[in-house]
Amino acid sequence: MSNFLQYTVFGIMLGAGYAIAATGLVVTYTTSGVFNFAQGAVGMIAAFCYWELVVVERVPVVLALVIIMLVGAPIAGGLVERGLMRRLHGASPERPVMVTLGLMVILTGLAAIIWNPSTQRSVQPMVSGLFGFVGINIQYQEVLIIGVAVLVAIGLRALFYSTRTGYALRAVVDDPDLLAMSGASPNRMSQYGWILGFAMAALAGVLLAPTQTTGISIEAMTLLVVNGYAAAIVGRLRNIPVTFVAAIGIGLAENYVINYVLPHVPQSLVPDITLALPMVFLFIALVTLPSVRLRAVGRLTTMRAPRVAGGKESLVAGAIFFLLAVVVSVVFKSTQFNGTTILALGGIVMSLGIVALSLVLVTGYSGQISLCQFSFMGIGAFVMGKIAGGGSLLGLLAATVVCAGVGALIALPAIRLRDLYMALATFAFADAVATGFFPDSHIYGNGGVTVGRIVLPGLSLGSDTAEFLMVAAFFVLAAWMVLAIRRSLFGRRLVALNDSPAAYATVGLNIGFTKVAVFAIAAAMAGLAGALYGTVQGVVGTTDFDFFPGIIFVLFVTIWSIRTVSGAFLAALTYVVLNQLWPSGIGIFAGIGIILIGRAAGGILGIEAIQIHLPWVRRSPAGSVAPVVDPLAAAAAMGGGTRAAS
Amino acid sequence: MPPADPASPEGAALTVSEVAVRFGGVAALSEVSLSAQPGKVTGLIGPNGAGKTTLFNVISGLQAPDRGSVHLFDTDVTAMKPHRRARLGLARTFQRLEVFGSLSASENVQVGLESTVKWWEWRHLRRAVPWKRRSPATGSDGYDGAGDPGSTSLALATCDRLLEGVGLDGLGHVQSSNMSTGLARMVELARALAIGPKLLLLDEPGSGLDETETTALGDLLSKLAAGGMAVVLVEHDMELVMRICDHIYVLDFGDIIASGEPEAIRKDPLVQAAYLGDAPPQAAPGQSAPIKEAGADR
Repeated sequence: MSNFLQYTVFGIMLGAGYAIAATGLVVTYTTSGVFNFAQGAVGMIAAFCYWELVVVERVPVVLALVIIMLVGAPIAGGLVERGLMRRLHGASPERPVMVTLGLMVILTGLAAIIWNPSTQRSVQPMVSGLFGFVGINIQYQEVLIIGVAVLVAIGLRALFYSTRTGYALRAVVDDPDLLAMSGASPNRMSQYGWILGFAMAALAGVLLAPTQTTGISIEAMTLLVVNGYAAAIVGRLRNIPVTFVAAIGIGLAENYVINYVLPHVPQSLVPDITLALPMVFLFIALVTLPSVRLRAVGRLTTMRAPRVAGGKESLVAGAIFFLLAVVVSVVFKSTQFNGTTILALGGIVMSLGIVALSLVLVTGYSGQISLCQFSFMGIGAFVMGKIAGGGSLLGLLAATVVCAGVGALIALPAIRLRDLYMALATFAFADAVATGFFPDSHIYGNGGVTVGRIVLPGLSLGSDTAEFLMVAAFFVLAAWMVLAIRRSLFGRRLVALNDSPAAYATVGLNIGFTKVAVFAIAAAMAGLAGALYGTVQGVVGTTDFDFFPGIIFVLFVTIWSIRTVSGAFLAALTYVVLNQLWPSGIGIFAGIGIILIGRAAGGILGIEAIQIHLPWVRRSPAGSVAPVVDPLAAAAAMGGGTRAAS
Repeated sequence: MPPADPASPEGAALTVSEVAVRFGGVAALSEVSLSAQPGKVTGLIGPNGAGKTTLFNVISGLQAPDRGSVHLFDTDVTAMKPHRRARLGLARTFQRLEVFGSLSASENVQVGLESTVKWWEWRHLRRAVPWKRRSPATGSDGYDGAGDPGSTSLALATCDRLLEGVGLDGLGHVQSSNMSTGLARMVELARALAIGPKLLLLDEPGSGLDETETTALGDLLSKLAAGGMAVVLVEHDMELVMRICDHIYVLDFGDIIASGEPEAIRKDPLVQAAYLGDAPPQAAPGQSAPIKEAGADR
């Protein structure tokens, strides 16, 4: 019984920490409509600053808290709102996601530069000591965290529902213009929201840092708030009391599972299950959340749709591209760069290019944000390595099919919900797979998996040149397929779904089916890319498919253009080149790039001033502006629509 | 207590029975009942905030009612998803434009035309192969890819006919987000017609149109109804409503306060008080009666 009480108190304390992080997310979302993926990174920076001030500089705890909570976090929050978020007002839904992800990778990149990740750093509790209560020992730090969480929840609830500022804070996201007419400044309210959100994130980071028994680490602290995501989702990103209760429930459930369930499972699985728990909770939250009803929002895309190359045109372009690859394979046959052959790097570019193409399909065309394409890549490479000796076409096929199935399973819980939840589900999946699944000794473990080069009867693909050309051929095929899909009936449906889900449903098309289908196809492409990546690398391991590189790669594709095949290739090329030149700074580069692109949904290639200099970009006739005509002058006798379907 | 519905639900394309919707403490719809007959234009009028768009959302499946039922012909569709209702022949347009802005006008209509086509069927997949894409002139497959503007397939021919019918002849290639509001509304209408509806819900189709365009729109809707379609029209342009509607329901604060033929509605003192204000009973042609403003539409 005393054990149960002890676990309960610790669970409540954990949940209280999640509650602070989750309420910060809710505050930001309520006041700006933006889900801040950088919330964990802000908490991480706060925790490291706290360590720096208290442990290194010997600053008193209270002064350190004042500096972090009342000076640093509010200034940072205000600057982020003013410099980044205000520019995104009215932008397409994926832009805030990408910008906050960009902020996250910038903060983690900066942290890695400032604080050497290999150094162990421990944070002592703010208040030490413990006391006995009904037979159990309770630490003062636990009481402090629980007390602070309760005060925060009560205070924020009171602020939002009992004060004029609170009403204005809630109103700003619904209709800033209407709010302005009532005398309040929408920009100021939004800024208050971000200041509050950053302060909450910093508070959660500082309070949870001492609970990290192995010391604070950049990645663990950044991703600690995934449990906060689940709580915020249960509270539907708006309801602070429900979010608070859900966070406490998650903290309790996590601690009960760790103490009552894990002792009964094989010891080798314990770390994996522990790390996967946040994703399990997030998925439970997504599955149990009621469906969001479709809304006719009247949002009209104002972006010029990229011209889609015709069938013959894309065949010719593909042939030219492949010929260029042949030239590269001849010219750079034995050239090396940074200790790796150019052809091996080229093979990586091509395989990552296929991953980028899968993002064009799922995010560029249909608007579903997927942050776990690297996870599918890793699964594909693993399947390839394990099936039929690790170098057969059967392995390629298996990698593709398995990833399609996994992709459909990931998409299923989120399809009933708004697109943001798809982003959250894939974020959590990518995190869980990278930290809990791939490192398992049965999967990649420490040694990795050997993937042989493909063996075809009568054809030798063992040389670097043959391997490079084979992967290039797959890239050309994938690019041609993506363009063919866009030109097809299914492609029109993807774009239509992205533009107006409400209209999509009311012309008789099934939103859920389309979302699952496109997600499965994109996952299959990433799985194929992973298998090919494996054949290029020979041996692949956990680090090849890490969480942060996966996020950074999505940002690269978005920076160049997530709607075009050329953008996909350029993203893969620059990612690989920069990874060779400055691996530790690639996240900062991606984050700054996505911020500079701002609300330009078309990326670099979508900027008209750049388009006119690109020889392969032609103006779309669909981009022309309609002349002013009498729209009904030609109204002819019509007996109603006629179905063309046979 | 709403007045008895004079329109018999017998053979009705649409029957709404005692539908109620609440948003928090606000009753958006209170026990609303109405019906729409095939071959008739049914008007639904009322001040802003009366619940007209909410009722359209309930009928089309975008909003679940708290109580009541919706029938399309003999089928109870109350719990049915929007796309299933559309497949039963229900089409709609929106008060705030919902065109597929990244697509051209022609592609917008094609999405509607192809809504029952199974994209994974081989005969459609093979069209991704360029030399297989062109279909025969008679269009036995009834579908063609967008990358083949020269095709004379049945789908594109039907698409052209629909665009021509709403006055967008020659504008099929224009990206719909580049169109004026009036033209984009016509794209929406053509797309709705493309699914071959038996019941057509139009939410303020006349907004953004000038007098000539509105007259042409009225003629088109009358022709559609004459072809057997049931048309339900939400519109603030009283001249248009009075000219083409066979039956009118008046909604105010979520209640049907009157229903009947246009002339009876025009003279109804309750309607005049709630909606038409002090306007003269006979609005001048081409001139809308003043509308009582009661906040944003729900």
